[in-house]
Amino acid sequence: MSERTLVTVFLRGGADGLYLVPPIGDDDYHRARPTLAVKPPDAIRLDHMFGLHPLLKPLERWFQDGRLAVVHACGCDDDTRSHFEAQDLMEHAGRAVAGGWIGRFLRATAASGGGALDAVALGTAIPESLRSAPSSAAIESFAELGGAEDLRLHAALAGLYASDPLLAAPAHDALTASERLTDLAAATYHPEYSAVYAADTFSERLARAAQLIKAGIGVRAINVDLDGWDSHFVQDTVLAGKLTTLAAGLNAFATDLGPRLADVSVVVMTEFGRRVAENASLGTDHGRGGALFVLGGGTPGGMHCQWPGLKTGVLEGPGDVPMIHDWRSVVTPVLRRHGVDDLSRVLPEWMGESLPV
Amino acid sequence: MTVSRRSLLITGGGILLALAGCGPELAMPALPGLPSLFDGGDRPLLPPSADGIDLASHLLTRLGCGAAPGEREDLLALGRDPDTAASAWLVAQLHPEGIDDSVCERHVRRLDALAEPVGELYEYRDFVLLRELTAATVMRAVHSRRQLHEAVVRFWTDHFNVDISKGECAWLTPAQDRDAIRRHALGKFSDLLRAVALGPAMLWYLDGRVNRSATPEEKPNENYARELMELHTLGVHGGYSQQDVMEAARCLTGWSVRESHGLFKFFKGRVEFNHHHHDDGAKTVLGQWIPAKGGEHDVDLLLDRVVRHPATARHLATKLCRRFIAEVPPTAAVDAVAAAFTASDGDIRSTMAALVATAEFRAPTVRGARLRRPFDHLTACIRATGGTTDGGPALTEYLRRLGHAPFQYPTPDGYPDAAAAWTGGLLWRWRLAVALARGRVHGTAIDGAALVRRCGGMDAALAHLYGRKPTAAESAPLAAAGDDALALALSAPAFQRC
Repeated sequence: MSERTLVTVFLRGGADGLYLVPPIGDDDYHRARPTLAVKPPDAIRLDHMFGLHPLLKPLERWFQDGRLAVVHACGCDDDTRSHFEAQDLMEHAGRAVAGGWIGRFLRATAASGGGALDAVALGTAIPESLRSAPSSAAIESFAELGGAEDLRLHAALAGLYASDPLLAAPAHDALTASERLTDLAAATYHPEYSAVYAADTFSERLARAAQLIKAGIGVRAINVDLDGWDSHFVQDTVLAGKLTTLAAGLNAFATDLGPRLADVSVVVMTEFGRRVAENASLGTDHGRGGALFVLGGGTPGGMHCQWPGLKTGVLEGPGDVPMIHDWRSVVTPVLRRHGVDDLSRVLPEWMGESLPV
Repeated sequence: MTVSRRSLLITGGGILLALAGCGPELAMPALPGLPSLFDGGDRPLLPPSADGIDLASHLLTRLGCGAAPGEREDLLALGRDPDTAASAWLVAQLHPEGIDDSVCERHVRRLDALAEPVGELYEYRDFVLLRELTAATVMRAVHSRRQLHEAVVRFWTDHFNVDISKGECAWLTPAQDRDAIRRHALGKFSDLLRAVALGPAMLWYLDGRVNRSATPEEKPNENYARELMELHTLGVHGGYSQQDVMEAARCLTGWSVRESHGLFKFFKGRVEFNHHHHDDGAKTVLGQWIPAKGGEHDVDLLLDRVVRHPATARHLATKLCRRFIAEVPPTAAVDAVAAAFTASDGDIRSTMAALVATAEFRAPTVRGARLRRPFDHLTACIRATGGTTDGGPALTEYLRRLGHAPFQYPTPDGYPDAAAAWTGGLLWRWRLAVALARGRVHGTAIDGAALVRRCGGMDAALAHLYGRKPTAAESAPLAAAGDDALALALSAPAFQRC
């Protein structure tokens, strides 16, 4: 099996699924969102019911190509509507489990001895989802992983380890990884396939993710956060930049990977969607079901949702899209494509359906 | 109402964490108040000069985190010949209460959350407790004079693994470390097992708290009962049946951990027995009849039965020999250790004494043949060079990169002992050595120049670090490495082993 990488993009703050993926075919949606609804002519149509927000235009071609799957009314079964609680539950993927779901995924599929760097969080901190990974690092730049000055030791290390019965081969792998990381730190990156990354932090991090993947040093999971989705106030203003950043970053990343995208799954997730009715300050409050995306890695793509509608009787709690599809039903097929045979080792509390994504 | 202390601690801790940060840092002076290890002075050292690892160095590296400068000399001064001295050292190490460790403990006590009673631990944020518990563990590994005790603590921490990230283990794990593992590490295994089994952390981690059978329809939760036999006592091939697991689970029904109820918040985390949730019928576990109406005493009979089962002595002896002697434990040593365990009624001190007395433990082929696990390696880098550390995030970040952060292993079997599980982290071991040698790990300081000076040259410093005279192939590259000589010495294959 070729080397595969799982990339998670966590939209922190509770991204509004009704804004990213508006149910333009649902009259109740337009009634509940007099100012914030995406109008049908503006939306990028996905099927008879759903569209994409126009600022997500760069994602359209991936959907049309069958490499982007979109799931709606999706989330976790936390109903506190607390950012912390919901993120925590999703990242651990259970209430009484140990470690993070990606950490368990990596342990369940680790080769003996593990790689030099199984998991990377591009950012300042390791997210809970990577907890208990065999090896993980939070990095802002490749310089943190290796610098030219360390190369001075390489020749000596190669000599010292050359005849070690146990460690010669792992040392060779580590030296190779170190040299590649040093090269990454030193070189200007030239994306492929005419991909153009924007200058924002999110795109920069995705460009680094693409570099790590192309370097072939065995990185099997990468997390990138995109913060700032908590749009209680003037949502149009708050989210316009976020949508642009998200779509441009994912488009550049997927383009840059070219055929490698078949071996890279990108899962875009958020802790919850938002209240159906907009509030008086042109924003939306914490809700339940939202939108998730899976890009590449062999997903058949498409729109997936048993849309419950937005009638009063359907809405949950204070008026929220119910969680029809547990987010784990989205990641189980992804995990299988990444070599997980026994899903109970990764998602021990999950025995539900798998969506065909 | 719900106490602002928790939020105060959040803020305070958050600032500290932000300040501590990771990445390149200015060289730090030694930790204030922590003298260089042991002798604190500058007396010349007498590193080993034989081609093979001598007994003193073997004891200090295999039963501890490397020989601190002067430690080997102190050990040899305990007797008129090396064997007598080694025996005296072992007797002292097996009685840690007699070793003055006040300097180390004074520094550990600054981590004030760890001294709180269980109900108060809950008031601290998760990351504060993890940071303090990790710091305490690292500081003791590096600075404690009770090295054998610490090594045995690490063994039991793996044996009775709990993952601090599972639910309430966030604040119950420090209690298990303090009240069960450390208290009984060299005591009676039965006391240790009971403290763990009826401790709130294990009741949480392996679901014992929800193991109840108030009505005949309610099926017990078997999670802990199975691991009790499979991992903690008899071993997977120890001769128990599925029926034994189910019967053991019945014995354990009703033991739970107090949740918080309004005014009774003070008792949160308290372990209690609820008769109404206990299956009080008769049971048979491993052939032992446990009569009906035993109530909370069922657990006594159950634990007594599993502790005395011959498979338990065998299982523990095998694991101890794997950890302290060789990955494939020599049968003769396992026999001797199991016999000592049984003869001493499960006294861990006597069992360890028997282990270190075996010819297999002392065999020259065994010395230096074990791959140090990342935690032992990281702490040895500091201890063997006479450095100091606060065990803070800049250092422990490397443990995560090496995949060996204490209290963070997800499954109940604990971090593996097999060398093959740990060969992937060489890149980070080298990075760590470079960062330490260049003074770039905030809160940790080592002084390579002083070590070389006190040893009387680079080759002698290598002999101190490796426990034997270095080979020509080992010392040649160092001569050419200039400022990186210490980094290279700590990165070399010989220092990855113990």
